Formats: sequence, structure tokens, C-alpha cells
Amino acid sequence: MNGAHRLAQIPAGVQCFVGEEARRRRRIEETAIGVFEGWDYEEIIPPLFDYADVFTSESLSARTYSFVGRDGSVLALRPDFTSLLAKIAAGRLRDRPTPIRLYYSGEVVRYEPPKAGRQSELFQMGLEHLGGDSRTADAEVLTIAAECLDRLGVSGFVLTLGHVGVFTGLLEGSDLEPARLEDLRDRVEAKDAQGIRRALSGVDLPQDRRDALERLAALAGGSDVLLDAAEVVADCPAAAEALGQLRTVWEALDRAGLGSCLAVDLGEVRGLDYYTGLVFRVFAPGLGFEVGGGGRYDTLLGRFGRPLPAVGFMLGLDRVALLLARQKGEPAPPPEPVHPVADADLGSALAEARSKREKGVRVRLDKHDGGDP
Amino acid sequence: MSLTVALSKGKLLSGTRDLFRRAGLPFPDGETRRLVVPVGGLRFLFVKDGDVPTYVEYGVADCGIAGRDVLLEAGSDVFEPLDLGFGRCRLVVARPAGAAPASVASTVRVATKYPKVAARHFLGRGVSVEVVSLAGSVEIAPGLGLADCIVDVVETGRTLRENGLVEVEDVAESSARLVVNRASFHAQRAAVKGLVETLERALR
Repeated sequence: MNGAHRLAQIPAGVQCFVGEEARRRRRIEETAIGVFEGWDYEEIIPPLFDYADVFTSESLSARTYSFVGRDGSVLALRPDFTSLLAKIAAGRLRDRPTPIRLYYSGEVVRYEPPKAGRQSELFQMGLEHLGGDSRTADAEVLTIAAECLDRLGVSGFVLTLGHVGVFTGLLEGSDLEPARLEDLRDRVEAKDAQGIRRALSGVDLPQDRRDALERLAALAGGSDVLLDAAEVVADCPAAAEALGQLRTVWEALDRAGLGSCLAVDLGEVRGLDYYTGLVFRVFAPGLGFEVGGGGRYDTLLGRFGRPLPAVGFMLGLDRVALLLARQKGEPAPPPEPVHPVADADLGSALAEARSKREKGVRVRLDKHDGGDP
Repeated sequence: MSLTVALSKGKLLSGTRDLFRRAGLPFPDGETRRLVVPVGGLRFLFVKDGDVPTYVEYGVADCGIAGRDVLLEAGSDVFEPLDLGFGRCRLVVARPAGAAPASVASTVRVATKYPKVAARHFLGRGVSVEVVSLAGSVEIAPGLGLADCIVDVVETGRTLRENGLVEVEDVAESSARLVVNRASFHAQRAAVKGLVETLERALR
């Protein structure tokens, strides 16, 4: 039997936070929630598990903890919030007028090989904007993301904006088999121009489209990239339309004073089974991977019977905490005075403590150490 | 802010030094034993070649130079904006000359320093595979009965011939790549762009 040693051992990927560390996480959560509420988003507390069919994102399916319920149905612990919120918006909230603005804060559970900032339990804080005008919603969500980061005290953050429609538009009519598409997507994501060319060899696609796809690797940087990109997609209406949407949002954010924290990255082509439009990620100096991100997913709600355009964004609390610790060091806990209460008579001690508590004083009940029998 | 560059002291070192000199970039001199070496505005980390992608993925290094073979095995989420051209080699399947073709056995046993690449290669073709993961001297494995074949890098093919092996399949081509951390790429855009463009000019 190896049961006994498990009483001390912990499974890979789980975490436990105590005291100041837990308080720091709670403050981060409260800050984010304050911003979400400030933009008139409503909190939703969705269930911890649901039928596995609800969570269909291909990239997540291999990482979902699923199990069989008592009635034989296949259930899954939530690997993300968005699918659940889409289901609830299409079902229980189906009579709500749009736009619907919802936020959440809680854990998701995934099988992950443990890496920095990526445990099996991930704490996510995010929101979804469902229905309503798409460009307005995109710009709103990005503005909220920037405000969250500002209020959390993250310095030097960059919101990288992409649009999956540029990539899919350029591939229109090419009929790439899934394995080749995945290979190509992987090389675009790696900004590997030669790799893109190799991945396209033998694919039935006009030369100008090939060149454009290859140039996607270099289309990342400041606002000048938008001009280069316009030239690259000029002969491809679908890609040009996608780029136009990105530009509209960029220009609005720029006019709103957020230009200095924006970047373009047209090589952001992850989650193609899920995202349909604008996609973005948040990076900041001090952390080698994104703090959060989001994007537009206009086809997901249709699966649940209420086709609505939608956009969402999410910050990983674990990553925000790691980033803030690196950027600002470990802040000392604020000194909160504690009033010890002790009395030989337990009843009197409790009475004193209660009266202090009524005044909002932080108390600590000690055992009276003088004259106890 | 200055950039941190992760390099290995392995087979890519001389090609990297040549490229940096040609590009007019600083590079640590001679036979230093230090593993963290700041030189002229860059900070160099010398790590094991298989660890370069890890240092870059975590952002401990902003950039690094690693072989495509190493990147394929590591599967790291990093940008690979430049093929640096040197360190060219191929990943191949090799087996003892005159051995029966793979189709005789239902499962191929393969010895390799690239367990993930090897598994992906055979499974992707619908072939059952048993991967024997080794740290080196892979070429002797088939002759000693440890494996039917190997997946390894070849440059000239001499090591294979001397150990009685012949190439039977290509797995991938490899050469040195500049890799860049995804956050550094955006959060330190000017510095990263400067380095990429300087190296790109030197390659022309």
C-alpha cells in the first residue's frame, strides 16, 4: 500500500496560499472586480462542473478533467469560463436584451505539465460582452483590460492586437488538410518566414497569397505595421476587411489615449477553432509569457441556440501575482494593529472581545496566563 | 534595457561567434568559464544546448540561439524570426545496413536523443513505436540489440557509416535559429528589433 505517504505528498499542479500571499491575491481579485463593476458588468458565479459537451474547444479538450456522473453522463470540471457563460447566456438568460455584460472570478482546472504561471488549478478573472455592436465591444473590452492593468499597478504593459481573419482570409479557398493547417499555423505563430514557405509548399494557393502569408511573420510591432499590413492584404478582400476592423479599434483606442500601450501582432493565430475576429494578449516586462488575453468568438453562442457576437478577456491571477512580485518586489504586509484580549474568566474575555469587534477593532483572543488554576 | 542572450557552448558556438563578429555585435572573448557574461550592452548566458529554448521561453533570456532540432524536441513556445544558416544538419531515421525493413516487425524500437521528435515521426505515420531515450552514443544501439533503428542528426553521415548504419528516412532539417521570448518581443520591441535587423543584415 502506498496510501500513507500520500497524506503528506501533494499532487502535481496544485497550490496552497497562506496569509499575506492569500491576502495579496485577494487584493488583486478585488481590484479587477472593482474595474469590471465600474464598467457595469454583472457578476456570474457559474457551476464548477457541467456536461463535458459544453467544453468543446479543441485546444482544451485534451486538458479537461472529465468524469462519469452517477447517471452515466460524461461531466467535466470547468477548463474555462467562456463556454459556461455562453451556455448560460443562451439558456437561462435567453430573454435578456443585449448587450449582456458578465464577469467572473474563480478557478478553472486543467491538466497542465507544471510550468511557471501554469498550474493545474488556474485562477481567472475575466469578462464577456455578448451581443451589441462588435467594434464598440472590442474597444470597450480592451479599454477595460488596460484599466485593470493600470489599477493593479502593472508598469510597461503592452496589449498586442491581432485578427485571425487576416490569416484565415489569406487562406480562403486553399482547402488545407488539418495537419498542414496546424503546421502552417504553428510556423506563423513562431514568426518563422522560411517555415511558412515550407509549410505551404505543394499547397494550391496563388503566389500573392503565399507571399502575403510569409510576410505575416514580420507583421508585428507598432502602428507602422498597420500600414505595411494594408499593403500585404490589399488584394485579398476578406483579409483586408479583417484588418479594417482591427484598425477601427486601434484608432479609437489611440484617440482615447491608449496608443502607447498598443502593439500589432498579426501572427497571433492561436485558437482558430474558437476565435473569429480580433484577438489580443497582454505582456509586461518581468514576465516571459502573457498575463492574460482575449478575443472575439462570434460562433460559440450559436452552438447553444442563441447566435450572438461576443468578445471576452481574461487575466490569470497567478500570473498577475507573479508579475507584480517581480516588478515591485514583495510588499510588506500593512501593519494592522492587533488587540490581544485575555481574562482569567473566559466569558469576560469573550465579552470584551465582542465589544471591541463591534467597534471594528482587530482582536486576538489569548489564554490568560496569570493565576489560572 | 539591455538584452540577455542565451547561447550554448556546444557545436553552434563557433558559428554564433562568427555571425556576431560579422554583424559588429559584442561577443565574450576567449575561454571564459563564467556562465553569465555582460559584454557591451548585451548579457550572455552560457547554458546546455537543450536548455536554450527553456531560458528563452521563460523570459530569463530575451533571445537565444538554438538548433531547429533542439527546438523541435523542446516544443517551446518562442518566436523563431531568423534562420541563421549555420549548423546545418538533418534529423534522420537510420538502421543497420542490410537489416529487414521496418514493416517486418509490428513495433519499431528506436533509440534517440530526441524522444518526442521520434515518437511524433512514427506515430504520425501510423507506426507503433517504442522509444528508447538515450543521452548520447545513439549509433551503437542497433548493433548491440538495444533498438532496431535510431533517430539522430547527421551532418556528413560519417558516424553512421562507421557504425554500419544507413539513412532510411528524413525526419526534419535543422539549422541554427534565433529565438525570441514572446513577451520581450513586444515589451522590449526596439532592442529586440535592433538585434534581429543587425543579424539579418549580417546574413545577407
